[in-house]
Amino acid sequence: MKFRWIAVSVGALFAAALPLAAHHSFAAEYDDTKPIKVTGVVTKVEWQNPHIWFYVDVKDADGKVTNWAFSGGAPGQLMRRGVTRDVIQPGMTVVVQGMLAKDGSHNAFGSSVTFADGHMVFTASSEDKGSGDKK
Amino acid sequence: MRTPRLTALALFAGLATLTAQNTFSPPRTPDGKPDFSGIYEWPKTNEGEKCRCSATIFNKARFPPLKPGGEPLYEPRTGDPRHDEPRDFCLPAGFPSGMLSANAVRLVQNKNFLVVAHEFQGMTRLIPLDGRPHRKGLEPGFYGDPVGHWEGDTLVVETTGVKRWGLDDYFYTNPNEYRMHSDALVTTEHISWKDAKTLAYRITIDDPKIFTRSWYQDFTMTLHPDWDQMGIFEYVCEENNRCPGGKCAK
Repeated sequence: MKFRWIAVSVGALFAAALPLAAHHSFAAEYDDTKPIKVTGVVTKVEWQNPHIWFYVDVKDADGKVTNWAFSGGAPGQLMRRGVTRDVIQPGMTVVVQGMLAKDGSHNAFGSSVTFADGHMVFTASSEDKGSGDKK
Repeated sequence: MRTPRLTALALFAGLATLTAQNTFSPPRTPDGKPDFSGIYEWPKTNEGEKCRCSATIFNKARFPPLKPGGEPLYEPRTGDPRHDEPRDFCLPAGFPSGMLSANAVRLVQNKNFLVVAHEFQGMTRLIPLDGRPHRKGLEPGFYGDPVGHWEGDTLVVETTGVKRWGLDDYFYTNPNEYRMHSDALVTTEHISWKDAKTLAYRITIDDPKIFTRSWYQDFTMTLHPDWDQMGIFEYVCEENNRCPGGKCAK
């Protein structure tokens, strides 16, 4: 198993700015009252429009593994800030902060990713907005 | 003496700024018109309420009183995502809303056209500068029919033929105020160089079905030569739109 340690906490420790998605309604898909912070291993990255998606295997306290899907900004918005498709790669252990989907699925909005060496990138559409921004 | 020194420094700084402004000469096309070609940040403003989104929005304080019957500016949401969130299905943002989206904008200009290539949704506006009138008999569209003319060093672009659609992205801030313009909308953009790095960009809204008079708001667009090589990126919304209407599919 590639997992080192996994933690899921919902509703706490959401300190990162929340500038959100580019093309569509954050409000339709995600609940900004339900922040999420997970740690896991990246399994796949879709560097495509209208939003990047990256998938993270997260293991809970009982050892059950769930594959979470996180949506971010548009590739162009991220690349303009220097966040290229090479930044997030399968196999990396990451901490993702974001917001849960309204439908109760294991989809979420991923506003930031922190890597094992401690550096963090904003994966939302813009990094100059405050908490609660929706697009 | 500390105060006189500070005063002198302030005067020097002010003079330097004035000199820089006075010596700025805008780039020009071969026919002598100001040349806006370059890559820019989307229009921004410091006034008014900030959107809980990345886009720029209009300042509500500038809205004149609504006409009787103009209340549909604030069209209620229906719960149908195709009505409430058309972009969720990759439908266009339209103009002027799309112009204010938080993406880079490439302007390309020659004697006869200004091309506005906006990264968001690949929006492209081809603005004739050759004096032609608006096309007749067009079905109203998302981006309308723009034509431009020069008033001194200012380019004036009038857009008609815009279908009823979202005015801006304010609904992200207040879902109860879903601002819609009507199909009578006429916009007038004034574009000019403000300084060597900045365009002054004014949008005037004339929507006689909604507002008692026209109104305008000023924005700036910052030139980004550092983005020139990078250019604008492709944006094909349908490529991986995994959550239309809020229903995500793996």
